[in-house]
Amino acid sequence: MQATRLVFYVLGGALLNLGVPFTNLHGATDYRLGPDSERKEGVPVGTVTKSQWTSKVFGGTQRDYWVYVPKQYDPARPASVMVFQDGGNYVDLTKDFRVPIVFDNLIHKKEMPVTIGIFINPGVIPAAATDQTPRQNRSFEYDTPSPQYAEFLLKEILPEVGKSYKLTTKPEERAIGGISSGGICAWTVAWERPDAFQKVLSHVGSFTNIRGGHIYPALIRKTERKPIRVFLQDGSADLDNLHGNWPLANQEMAAALKFAGYDYRFEFGDGGHNGKHGGAILPDSLRWLWQDVVAARAGK
Amino acid sequence: MARGIQVLALIVITGWLLLVPCVAVAQDMALKDVLIEGEDWQLVGEGFAFTEGPAVDSNGNLYFTDVFRAKIYRLDAQGKPEMFVDQSYGTNGMMFGPDGRLYGCQNAKKRIVAYDSAGKDTAIAEDVNSNDIVVVRSGALYFTDPEHHQVWYVSPKGEKRVVDTGLGYPNGIRLWPDQGTLVVADMKGPNLWAYRVEANGDLKFKQPYYTMRLAPDKTDSAADGLTIDSAGRVYVATRLGLQMFDPTGRLCGVIASPQKAWLSNVVFAGPKLDTLYVTCSNKVYKRKVKATVFRYFDPAGK
Repeated sequence: MQATRLVFYVLGGALLNLGVPFTNLHGATDYRLGPDSERKEGVPVGTVTKSQWTSKVFGGTQRDYWVYVPKQYDPARPASVMVFQDGGNYVDLTKDFRVPIVFDNLIHKKEMPVTIGIFINPGVIPAAATDQTPRQNRSFEYDTPSPQYAEFLLKEILPEVGKSYKLTTKPEERAIGGISSGGICAWTVAWERPDAFQKVLSHVGSFTNIRGGHIYPALIRKTERKPIRVFLQDGSADLDNLHGNWPLANQEMAAALKFAGYDYRFEFGDGGHNGKHGGAILPDSLRWLWQDVVAARAGK
Repeated sequence: MARGIQVLALIVITGWLLLVPCVAVAQDMALKDVLIEGEDWQLVGEGFAFTEGPAVDSNGNLYFTDVFRAKIYRLDAQGKPEMFVDQSYGTNGMMFGPDGRLYGCQNAKKRIVAYDSAGKDTAIAEDVNSNDIVVVRSGALYFTDPEHHQVWYVSPKGEKRVVDTGLGYPNGIRLWPDQGTLVVADMKGPNLWAYRVEANGDLKFKQPYYTMRLAPDKTDSAADGLTIDSAGRVYVATRLGLQMFDPTGRLCGVIASPQKAWLSNVVFAGPKLDTLYVTCSNKVYKRKVKATVFRYFDPAGK
């Protein structure tokens, strides 16, 4: 087969299959990316560098991660930090979120602070032999309600990135986000270490019983409020499976956050278990999440 | 096939190949994917003192022990228990090896033995405490030693050494279908632990990969024996029943125990290897399911 024909088949197949894994026949709104998710002339473009990390906190795991540095970064001034789980998905300029483009646009308009983005993939323990299966560590790292993922960020990733860039140590200038299990992971990091992370962005977060994460609404209601600002997004056509019901779980989270007096926002649409809605509203979500930091800097 | 359909099929298939790796969501595996509506536990045998060590031979036949009465049984052609060894010296966990012999934890004599088809035993390792055992395709084996909180390795040449220490009460022990990961149940704790198996038998990257459901008033799982199916699902006998996990360590659910008594161990057996057999105190039960196993000696078990 000619190379050009192969490319045609592969791309054609990708288009035909788009959305099929998340087929949603509930008449979901057609969420579209807005202008802040597109490249604009005159807006400085940050750099994205890919690296690999072998962890001790999650012993033996290996993973890729990417670091985004905006053009406006000034080594004399510590940058704000935002971490993303399933980093390869969030950093990809062809997928739902296109975070580097959105960051470029919002930082240029001063609608969010100069922020270094750290996009981390879940860990894998490689197999010892080629005919064996690696141990996938995504669920263990993301779904377990424990301080271990926060420890991994604070002991390993932030110090490593901090060798090259001056990063803030202020918890209100550290944000963390993710989709699905990566969403509950973001919440768990802030819940366990509000002294280190105080901003959470969750897309179709798995606040269900995959590994016990369904406890959070109950914990939130009966724990003294922690200084966490949280943006939750979910849709009415999200998952309903053995682990739980995602739309109900996210509504439970929102109700608990409201009850306990948290600074939260809940965008509940009609999408399924994917990043379409979250991607479409990402610029607004980030503006809302960072507004206090932007206001504080403008006031100075 | 018409040329147009061929092209369309190619387009769809290649498209899937391109997109599937982008989907980070692991496959959900519910109990209903394994259990068959209307199929319940069936009694296989009763009147024993304490059953354990269910093992399956290359024809799908079930063997098990009565630890307290020191007997080993197998099911005859009619599915009824018949005596295989009438003095087992307390043999507990068992598993068939790639050489066709039945390996067992012969505790009253503090040894690991292999039984030939006539029921005659040969020592494989001596002066060791043991509870359960897994045989590797290479002929090596691992066994748990709860009393000393450790896991042993015996090389294909018969050299033994301790390869893990520290679990509260290491009990059930099995390998993933490709034998690259070892799973050990901690009866005193809430976890099954995963280890990477190195070429020399060492264990690396120990992790509490599977977290079991506990009874409300307990901090221990009472996890005993376990088995792993061809899809990588883990089934472990616990106080609450047979707990099932998916290959990424997520609890799928709890299958009810056939009776309110100590559920000690589990294995897939039967001609099609599609039947769960459990040892539960004085009785042995079976239940047909929608799952099967690779045995370590099957070529497919790679």
